[in-house]
Amino acid sequence: MHDLLQRFLSLPWDQAPQWLFLIPALLMLVAAAAAVMLRNLIHCALCLTLSFIALGVLFIALGAEFVGFVQLLVYVGAVTMLILFAILLTPASEVAASNNPFRSFSLSKAVNAAGGGVVALLVLGGLLAAIFFSPHAREAVPPAIAATAPAAAIGENLLTHTLLPLQGTAILLTAALIGAALLAKEEKQS
Amino acid sequence: MNFLENLPLAAKKLILDAVEWVCNWLCAKTGIKLPDWAMPALLTLVSILIVIVTIIAVFMVMFALMSVFERKILARMQNRYGPNRVGFFRWRLCGLFQPVADGIKMLTKEDIVPRGADKIVHFLAPIAMVAPALVLPVILPYGRGMVPIELSTGILFFFAMGAGTELAVFMAGWSSNNKYSVMGAMRAIAQMISYELPLVMSAVVVALVAGTLSPNGIVEAQAGYSFGIIPKWFVLTPWGFVACLLFYIGALAESNRCPFDLPEGESELVAGHLTEYSGFKYAIFFMAEYVGMFAINGLLVTLFLGGYQSPLPFLEWIPSWCWFFGKLACVAFSMVWVRATLPRFRIDQMMQFAWKFMLPMSFAALIAAATWYYAGRGPAAWGISALIVGVPYLVLGRLCFTRRHAADNRRYLYSE
Amino acid sequence: MNLPGSGIIKGMAVTALNMIGSYFDRAHAKRLTTEQYPEERPTLVETSRSFPFLVFDGDPEAGIRCVACKICEKECPPQCIYIVQDKDANGKAIRRPRVFDIDISVCMGCQICVEVCPFESIRMDNIYEVSSYNRFAPLVLHKEQLLKSNAYYNQIHPTEAAETDARIEAARIKKAAAAKATAEKVAAAKAAAAKAAEEKAAAEKAAPEKPSQPEQNA
Repeated sequence: MHDLLQRFLSLPWDQAPQWLFLIPALLMLVAAAAAVMLRNLIHCALCLTLSFIALGVLFIALGAEFVGFVQLLVYVGAVTMLILFAILLTPASEVAASNNPFRSFSLSKAVNAAGGGVVALLVLGGLLAAIFFSPHAREAVPPAIAATAPAAAIGENLLTHTLLPLQGTAILLTAALIGAALLAKEEKQS
Repeated sequence: MNFLENLPLAAKKLILDAVEWVCNWLCAKTGIKLPDWAMPALLTLVSILIVIVTIIAVFMVMFALMSVFERKILARMQNRYGPNRVGFFRWRLCGLFQPVADGIKMLTKEDIVPRGADKIVHFLAPIAMVAPALVLPVILPYGRGMVPIELSTGILFFFAMGAGTELAVFMAGWSSNNKYSVMGAMRAIAQMISYELPLVMSAVVVALVAGTLSPNGIVEAQAGYSFGIIPKWFVLTPWGFVACLLFYIGALAESNRCPFDLPEGESELVAGHLTEYSGFKYAIFFMAEYVGMFAINGLLVTLFLGGYQSPLPFLEWIPSWCWFFGKLACVAFSMVWVRATLPRFRIDQMMQFAWKFMLPMSFAALIAAATWYYAGRGPAAWGISALIVGVPYLVLGRLCFTRRHAADNRRYLYSE
Repeated sequence: MNLPGSGIIKGMAVTALNMIGSYFDRAHAKRLTTEQYPEERPTLVETSRSFPFLVFDGDPEAGIRCVACKICEKECPPQCIYIVQDKDANGKAIRRPRVFDIDISVCMGCQICVEVCPFESIRMDNIYEVSSYNRFAPLVLHKEQLLKSNAYYNQIHPTEAAETDARIEAARIKKAAAAKATAEKVAAAKAAAAKAAEEKAAAEKAAPEKPSQPEQNA
């Protein structure tokens, strides 16, 4: 009992944080899979939100606090609301009796699913290849930039080096806002 | 009074030392040798637990006291007594045990779930509401050196967690299988999203002038006294005053408090998104709303009212955490005061107010703050920034909110 | 100049004054008009009524005014009164109730029983604290619970009670006067009858002597 405890304590627990990333990563994968497989649209949207939250957690765990919080603020706060409003305000498709993704089986469906799976694997392989064969992949993990103020650094970068894309995004968002207001206004005859 | 000032930190250090001593004693007794990383990890864990327990305890007690004081203050403002009977052991205690009675009532109520309701989402909605709300107070500086978690992007964290609340409101409304709940939830979300913009813009105004997103840094930027007696709080500047008012109104709207309590007013769609919740789940929503209100009041105090700093130089002997909670109490009292005074907004009035008045005013405040900052903070800067906020205020006020005198155009259909 | 938002400030000043006044200016008519219920009871007007009760004069047993005529039982619209007449030792019915039950969960307070009672014996009470833990048995009031003295009646409805007492008194006086008149009449009739009998006896005494006298002269 005594040395069992001793052995338990002398396991390499300080290496553990590296494996803790598996928790949000697996959560994100499962949530994303559920988001495409569930039948009830609102449940799909909520699982998608869960995957957004998991991604935000991953960002924060990597030390990119600013991006993580912005991910939570924008994606969970605004994009999720957008998706939910879109689901609720459009005519609903029929809701199946059960939410089980594996409820019915037919050969054509299986072939379709297999084909889709092959395409998805190819895309994933391409992305992984891009990551692993890029010049930065072999470097050691860079020191966390969270020590120096990341928000200030990002802000400075946005307003000096990437100013043009920032202004372009601003114009795009303004155009979208005006378009939405016009579309909504056209309904009323005053 | 240095002892009182450092009391919370000294208590925390005492607990950590006690834990360390007990651990060492246990290891010496049983002969287990701990690896090097164990003691710091354990102390970190204990300090996190201390933070969690303290925040939850303090905010639960504040929630309980707030619920009874709000009812008593509302009652006094309406020429009646509030709850003044619930005490214990024959002492009436002016009704201060009312939260205990309310808690017992809520806990012993039957938990009704509508038959067609989506059980998982119905169950998760109160959790999704209370979890972000309980996490919000963790970045606020309660005193000198007393920030539970020091985040350099604290303000952003605050608003990110606030976004979880909107999701919970939607989940609550939709999962109740009640079209009026869905309508109530839609209105609630529309209100929260519309008012989040002026709220965040007011915070951005403060971040602009203070140069940092960290709450501690913002409080430190309001240190000092001009002319030796007037504190340099942001609320005492023209742009800061406007931004504080906008933040305050946004805080009222985010916590669904009067005059913005359309989602939960009793005469509006019963209780809106909370119609189908009873018992403990309703208590959780209620608690989340109050804890969120305290957190956002705390942020208002941090951003505009100087946080834990005392207003006058000769009052600095009062501990800093006393000042923080005193200011928080004042802001909470003013929220109750506003609730007693103002009637409820209609949904279209609410939306108009947010988009047509508050958002342009927040932009005006931003420009005024920038002008003030870069024009050297002298009297000219004050004058120009006052003008930059004052003119839109008057113009927008006239444009948006004057009622055209339509008496001459009115058609009376049924009068004799 | 009417600044936007000035109305709100004025409103908030009113509520603040209300709050401060509720602590320091309590004598003001509009402040804190709440009656703290178990300690301060509301003052009822004289004509307030809730459920019936039976009036007795003096002694609850002997002075009961009710004679079990059952008129109120018949006239009660929801039929909440139940009366059983008393019997004396020999089994003959006497004029008092043995059982008089009113179900106050049924009684609607219409006062019809009071209006039709010829003996001024049932009147309306103004009690309102009659709640019980059971919906049935405790809400049926029996004769002992319903009997309350005339003094109590005078206390709760002074004007009505004075009027009733005056009526009873007038009836009693009239009855006494009528009885006296009857007695006098009887006495007078008796005296007249006695006098007539005397006269008749005297006349009879004189009359038989008359026929005997002419016999002596022939």
